[in-house]
Amino acid sequence: MGNKKILIIEDDGDVRLGYHVRLKANNYDTFFAVDAIGSLREARTHQPDLIILDLGLPGGDGFVVMERLKTNPQLAVIPVIVVSGRGGLANRTRAVEAGAKAFFEKPVDNDDLLEAIRKVLGGPVQLGKAEFLPDPKRRKVLL
Amino acid sequence: MKEKPLHVLLVEDNAGDARLLREMFRTEKPGSFELTHLLRMSEAMIHLGKGDVDVVLLDMGLPDAHGLDTVRQAHAVAPDIPLIVLTGLDDEELAAAAMKEGAQDYLIKGQIENRALPRALRHAIERHRMQTETELIRTNQMQFKDEFLSHVSHELRSPLTAIYGFVTILLDRLAGDLNLNQREYLEIVLRNIKQLQSMINDLLEVTGLQTGKLQIELQRTSVSDAVEYTVDTLLASASAKDIALSSDVERALPSVCADPTRLRQVLIILVDNAIKFTPASGVVKVQARTLEKDLNFLTLEVSDSGCGISPDMTERIFERLVQATDPALAGRKGLGLGLYICKELVTRLGGRIWAKSVPGRGSVFCFTLPVFSLPNLLAPAFRREKLTTISITLVVTEIGSQTGWLSDEVRAEQSRGVRDLLQRCLHSDLDILLPKMGPAGAVELFFIVAITDRGGEAITKRIREQFDDFEHTQRAGLTLLTSYQSLEAIKRNTNEPMKDLVERAATQIQELMNEETSLRMVTNGQ
Repeated sequence: MGNKKILIIEDDGDVRLGYHVRLKANNYDTFFAVDAIGSLREARTHQPDLIILDLGLPGGDGFVVMERLKTNPQLAVIPVIVVSGRGGLANRTRAVEAGAKAFFEKPVDNDDLLEAIRKVLGGPVQLGKAEFLPDPKRRKVLL
Repeated sequence: MKEKPLHVLLVEDNAGDARLLREMFRTEKPGSFELTHLLRMSEAMIHLGKGDVDVVLLDMGLPDAHGLDTVRQAHAVAPDIPLIVLTGLDDEELAAAAMKEGAQDYLIKGQIENRALPRALRHAIERHRMQTETELIRTNQMQFKDEFLSHVSHELRSPLTAIYGFVTILLDRLAGDLNLNQREYLEIVLRNIKQLQSMINDLLEVTGLQTGKLQIELQRTSVSDAVEYTVDTLLASASAKDIALSSDVERALPSVCADPTRLRQVLIILVDNAIKFTPASGVVKVQARTLEKDLNFLTLEVSDSGCGISPDMTERIFERLVQATDPALAGRKGLGLGLYICKELVTRLGGRIWAKSVPGRGSVFCFTLPVFSLPNLLAPAFRREKLTTISITLVVTEIGSQTGWLSDEVRAEQSRGVRDLLQRCLHSDLDILLPKMGPAGAVELFFIVAITDRGGEAITKRIREQFDDFEHTQRAGLTLLTSYQSLEAIKRNTNEPMKDLVERAATQIQELMNEETSLRMVTNGQ
């Protein structure tokens, strides 16, 4: 079986290269996109197994990318991990509602990211980090 | 251009004083003032409520209000209208107090010179306008500052990510071998990246605190878990300085009502500080126990054998950007925001935080948190509605699986899914969801205390509808068993006071939950 393919959507070139080196060392094949439009094109071309997505992108942010991915049945099934400089509850919640499997604030710890990738690629089980996201709309829970 | 007349409201019950004051407007240009004269505070309040008053002249001895109360009442109805108080000759102290309560100025009856009154009124209006403007500018500046900080902090994260990425690539030898010196220096870089990262997080946290974006989710929280987590997290940095980090948590300590993430955050800041300010081979200890004086609270303590804090600083260190200790002792530290964050968080969790210290011997940081109490938490929901016409329903929802539970992980995930689903079915801020505490966060039994006038049917129907669309229902073959029981049934006597009802509902749920929460009654008058 060949390596799993990961599409990295990130507009910062240095950050992109950093991911590439780290992921390659862990036997993943990487592809890149730097903006919203390129993301869809690369996703269609390579049919990655996973997408790592930044939220702040030129030409439409990460949320736009997730929405567009959803409109294509072939791309809609690709799991997305968000790694963003934009933290905060609102972004987390929005990302998870949009279907992200995990949400990390930059800089994400290497081990955390790799573990998340392994879990997402490993099966249908969702991730701890993403699941524990508090939902601002949530009602009172006492236990 | 014709100027609009200034509307003056004179509140004065003494006819003689009122006449004298009226006289003073005579010499003014006709149409420059419009005077309304009222005798009582109650009338004045109604008039002020209608608006259309530019300035108030207020006597401080009225038939229905006296002294500072007059000012407070007027200020409460019309905080934006400038106020001048009228006092007697020997009342200057009172007048000064009135100005502290928001009065713009005071005039001493019988001492008002000719023409001085209109001038005083105009000045009061002008001063008030300037104050309002200054306040507005200040608010805008604060907001700008917060937005700016938030923006900058976010932007700093990308370059930091790149630095972190490549330093760890080098350290993990993904770009070739390192000699010992190279490794050591890169470790130093990495340590500084972590420091920078925590500063950025502090900045974002503080801007969040100030703009009200901070979310706190109160729930039953285990103190010993939080303490254990904190000690585990910081054990390495303590050992690096040869500091003995230990914890002592009273056995059978009750849970607290807190936000577990926030509690951990407070503990981490305090213990991290303690480690920073304690010289090598020192001692840092985390303790938790019930408060003897007040069983409604727990106390947590982080003590160290560090440099201590001088007595005059023990309160100030909780302010923003204040750092008490000689930087030489701690090396380079953070931004001085940690304790401020702690204080804000503890306060929002319903507790109190303070510090004690003997300089040179160490410091103790203490904070309290309210003990988890079911009746206390249920009470607000019960209070919001008039219970005479309403029934409280207890809905018990059990989630079963046809295929048997899979791994713990899958189970926990599905449990969370079910919990989210149930939350969607509730009336916001009214109904309460109580998942039965289970191991590893997975729960199969939920209790809903629903306040609804349609018994439990409405909510049960909502849950069933939602459950049919629930993705795990198909995948894991989940089944839902829901039953409801009106608390009317428990409530034999309809005239039973509400607090008894609350208590009994709580007791009922308590039994179902099979938990050892100590039940105490809501005593604060509800």
